[in-house]
Amino acid sequence: MSNKQDDPQDYGNPLNEGRRDFLKQSSLLSAIALTPGAIRRAAENKWDEKIADEMGKVPLSLEVNGVAYQLKVEPRVTLLDLLREQLHLTGSKKGCDRGQCGACTVHADGVRINSCLSLAVTNDGKKITTIEGLSKGEQLHPMQEAFIKHDGFQCGYCTSGQIMSAVACVKEGRTRSPEQISEFMSGNICRCGAYSNIVKAIQEVKNQQS
Amino acid sequence: MDKSLIGDPLSRVDGRLKVTGGAKYSGEWELPGLVYGVLVPAAITNGSIVSMDVKAAERAPGVLAVITPFKTPVVPGFKPDAAQPVRGLKLFNDKLIHFNGQPIALVVAESFEKATHAASLVKASYQEDPFETDVEKNRDKGVVPNGGKYKDYVRGEADAYKKAPVVIEQEYRQPSEMHNPMELHVTIAVWDGDDKVTVYTKSQGVIGTQRSIANAFGLKPENVQVNSRFVGGAFGSSLRTWPQEIASVMAARLLKRPVKLTLTREQMFTLVGHRPYTIQKIGLGADLNGKLIGITHESASQTAVYEEFTEGSVNVSRFLYDSPNANTRYKVIPINVGVPAPMRGPGEATGSFALESALDELAYALKMDPIELRLKNYTDRDPERNLPWSSKYLKECYTRGAERIGWENRPAKPGTLREGEWLAGYGIGCGAFGAYRGRALAKVKMMADGTVNIQSATSDIGPGTGTAMTLIASDLLGVPASQITFELGNSSFPTAPTQGGSSTVSSVGSAVHDACLAFKQKLYVMAGMPENSTDPIDYKAVLKQKDLPFFELTEESQSSQQAKNFSMYSFSAHFAKVHVHPLTGVVRVKRMIAVVDAGRIVSYKTASSQMIGGAVGGIGMALTEEAIFDHKYGRYVNGNFADYHVPVNADIQDMEAIFIDKPDPYINPIGTKGIGEISLIGVAAAISNAVFNATGKRVRELPITPDKLI
Amino acid sequence: MNPFTYTRPVDTGAAIKSLGKESQAVFLAGGTNLVDLMKMGVVVPEKIVDINRLPLKNIEPLSGGLRLGALATNSEVADHPEVVKGYPLLSLAINAGASPQLRNMATVGGNLLQRTRCSYFFDLAMPCNKRTPGSGCGALAGFNRMHALFGASDKCIAVNPSDMSVALVALDAVVRVKGPAGDREIKFQDFHRLPGDEPQLDNTLAKGELITAVDLPPAAFTKHVHYLKVRDRTSYAFALVSVAAALDLDKDNNIKDVRLAMGGVAHKPWRLQASEDFLKGRSATEDNFRQAAQIAMQGARAYQYNQFKLKLAPNTILQALKTASMQA
Repeated sequence: MSNKQDDPQDYGNPLNEGRRDFLKQSSLLSAIALTPGAIRRAAENKWDEKIADEMGKVPLSLEVNGVAYQLKVEPRVTLLDLLREQLHLTGSKKGCDRGQCGACTVHADGVRINSCLSLAVTNDGKKITTIEGLSKGEQLHPMQEAFIKHDGFQCGYCTSGQIMSAVACVKEGRTRSPEQISEFMSGNICRCGAYSNIVKAIQEVKNQQS
Repeated sequence: MDKSLIGDPLSRVDGRLKVTGGAKYSGEWELPGLVYGVLVPAAITNGSIVSMDVKAAERAPGVLAVITPFKTPVVPGFKPDAAQPVRGLKLFNDKLIHFNGQPIALVVAESFEKATHAASLVKASYQEDPFETDVEKNRDKGVVPNGGKYKDYVRGEADAYKKAPVVIEQEYRQPSEMHNPMELHVTIAVWDGDDKVTVYTKSQGVIGTQRSIANAFGLKPENVQVNSRFVGGAFGSSLRTWPQEIASVMAARLLKRPVKLTLTREQMFTLVGHRPYTIQKIGLGADLNGKLIGITHESASQTAVYEEFTEGSVNVSRFLYDSPNANTRYKVIPINVGVPAPMRGPGEATGSFALESALDELAYALKMDPIELRLKNYTDRDPERNLPWSSKYLKECYTRGAERIGWENRPAKPGTLREGEWLAGYGIGCGAFGAYRGRALAKVKMMADGTVNIQSATSDIGPGTGTAMTLIASDLLGVPASQITFELGNSSFPTAPTQGGSSTVSSVGSAVHDACLAFKQKLYVMAGMPENSTDPIDYKAVLKQKDLPFFELTEESQSSQQAKNFSMYSFSAHFAKVHVHPLTGVVRVKRMIAVVDAGRIVSYKTASSQMIGGAVGGIGMALTEEAIFDHKYGRYVNGNFADYHVPVNADIQDMEAIFIDKPDPYINPIGTKGIGEISLIGVAAAISNAVFNATGKRVRELPITPDKLI
Repeated sequence: MNPFTYTRPVDTGAAIKSLGKESQAVFLAGGTNLVDLMKMGVVVPEKIVDINRLPLKNIEPLSGGLRLGALATNSEVADHPEVVKGYPLLSLAINAGASPQLRNMATVGGNLLQRTRCSYFFDLAMPCNKRTPGSGCGALAGFNRMHALFGASDKCIAVNPSDMSVALVALDAVVRVKGPAGDREIKFQDFHRLPGDEPQLDNTLAKGELITAVDLPPAAFTKHVHYLKVRDRTSYAFALVSVAAALDLDKDNNIKDVRLAMGGVAHKPWRLQASEDFLKGRSATEDNFRQAAQIAMQGARAYQYNQFKLKLAPNTILQALKTASMQA
């Protein structure tokens, strides 16, 4: 391996025959007629992968924070990874990737969900709101203001999810008592322990609205 | 200034960024050509890798590299033995396996999905050797750690408690606990040529990370740029540089592309430390009036077979109470586990659970109020070092906490207070943690428009470092906080210590204090005024008069000689009121009051949050948190966020922090002692003691789950 | 996650057909369980049939009862006025499970099909007969604190994690399914199965069958109901033991009818028929509740780490009945 390290294209995958194997195994050949020479060139240039990649992708139209996207994505990409890695909307966080922490909470058609357990393609046609879409320009959403005022966070990593969840919690009417707010905010873990301040922030927003 | 700004309830200076999703954490930098690294964990607990089959992984679409010990990459300058970053783990330069989950391969691919899938295709065959993950089974295999710090300690006579009229002798158990910060550990590395690398990583100390990486790759420290602007919690898990950080730097060098390596939540249970499983024995002996005659504290804690980890679990018993005789014994038990790391309140939290529980048991044995017992054994000097305290207001903590929680409602006889269908009880637990101050530098720069920028290579893992520093600077300079920016998390800034041990405000705050003071004095002199003048000054006018576009200076700050004449600690008294359901064993913490002597409080708002947050961590330690091994396989059975229970919102009810807020006269120019650790130390005992008060059941094995109370 | 092909039929028949052809094809609804299992490599499908566009979302009246479309989300069911009014036990049970976000995603059908949370099932490096038949049961001699008291086998001692199903079995719900061989109804009691020698099978669905709805009989228990879930933290955790209790009391506090079921104790939601039979016609007293709780424990068998459930389970039944009887 060491003698190949100067060629990053080759590193760790020096087996061009491996690429050809892949090409043979893939269903591409049945879809596209390629001459043997073309196969070799395709393999060397990783066209096979690129074509296979494209073929494996599924169209997806999505509105995120009011912006319409026409995308093609692999069906195994989650909504969270699409937002963070492809659309570079990193406000939604990954804390567990398994629906066990709530840091990835976004609204899909106005409903709070864990974006880490939602395959992006299943959201076709939906309107997604992330933390980046909550404020109106420079004007923060009242929940964002309330979180600042009541210090509803420390490290800030769970905060996007907490705020998206909190906005939904108020909308759902689950704010009858501090206990009810706590119960309906329990899908958002905060390891810094800002829970009591989060409850105060939600109460304030609820009181503003009533 | 008429009034000090310090102590004002300033909202977090980075609050807006955090509530809008605009705060960029280490894994969120967009770099052209970024590729994704995923680690492959070992599936055995001890032994060696015999062979690996990486063909399928290499052939998987989008895969750029599969690094294994069988294809050891040659990275010029890389030293697998470099002590600092990887210690006993040689990372792809070694086929030995010391614990389950140890990285055996790194797969790099064009996307996260492709890398993750390819990593699942890597196959290894192993030579499996017998292993040990069970501390209980190996408790007689403890060894005294290297280094004099951990020798047995004796004041007066050892084990004198045994001869006292009233004796308590009990064992207490702390399971392994995971830091579990919300942000997954992540590193992005990108090289510029062969000898310069920039690293975006989750770090509590960018200077420490810089040193570790420079050391591992044989680079000049200044050629390693470390950024860690926002850190999504850490609690000790990012105090050091971990193997996966080195791995991403290595892969980025080989591929000549930026590599992002993110751990999964499951990998964080094995790769970034934990609070070690610890068995403690406390012996307390007292006379019939409650005066302590002897304290003995023994502790045996797990460590890794490949690296020794130690912490101060027995320390608290040497100085917190006055006793003519006190002795401690500390041992570590090497087992096949990833190496532990200091976790919030490190050993002291473990130690104080044992000592403060035993003290509670003694109070019941004496039929004495637990606060009265603590007052009986109060000490105005540090009995361990035989030095005066720099400051200590623990008595005030008792009084104010007792008043606030309604201590008079505590039933003297346990199990006798009912509130509805619940049993109710009250408890107290105390904490102490050394107040430290390290050497730190800060640079102050004022622009012609009067705005101030301050830089220091410190971190903010959540407490609000920037907010506290802004208040200190604002107070010193007389410039409104809105005109000040404080920057951190960048290794090219003036040196600062790693954020740990509750010392950031003491260390970096002092540097900011000293730099602002020096700055102000310089400007007074430039204005032709005496340097110690208290008259108002128009900085902008001075700069304009001198025709300066800006003025800046860097100041170094460290502890004075005089400080060595004192013993310095922060103290806390935690009060808990709990409900316990008599049929289901469910515990609800109805109320917690943390009363804190941490010197002067710089930023009331963030300090309150930090105290309450530490208490929430303590509730987890007391009631819910425990990482559990299957000892047959050496794997965690609850290594995820669903089965390892950190407290959720519904676990938390009425929380309050009360600060004594009296400056310590000796530790530093601000008078602050630190709160990060004592916010948690003592909480578990307060809750456990309250549970006993409610039920008459003493649980000496954390966490206090329902099964232990029915 | 492995690569897979993806289809999104809009017609129920087409969905069943689409699944039928492939051996490693699965239906995807809310995804809260399946996507997790795919990430962990426990389920490795070659094809995903996304059924979210099928017309199975409605909650509608049904000759005195209520039909819950298989794709209605847990939240939609729990908050539906007819459910809150007529089936409050179901509402309580659903809201005791998971988190608001997950309940917004998870569906009626998916909830019925969720797999066990047994650690050994989820960890590919440890044996599990449910995941890999014949590999052994890691939990049997392993860490079995969360495991079954009733109906287990030496092949599997895992428990069903659903809260909703505990209420549904108590309420005598009926599962409606559609498959290549046509439509059929399965009594809820018979829907989930015990592990026996085939722990890989959680339920009695035939291959290729799709749940289309769950039917609730006419509302009968509208007042004296309680769902008590005991867990290691206050919320967002799986049950150590849970109890669904529903009482129909006359004005003299006598029990006209009663339903009792437990969660967290068996491979299926565990209906307590013998306890119900004991309570019927008796008065709603603590002593009778206590006896009913003891009756429920007949045949219980605990393992090394779940001995506590032998006491926790009857205690929880007792408390659930007490609370239910006191509902004003």
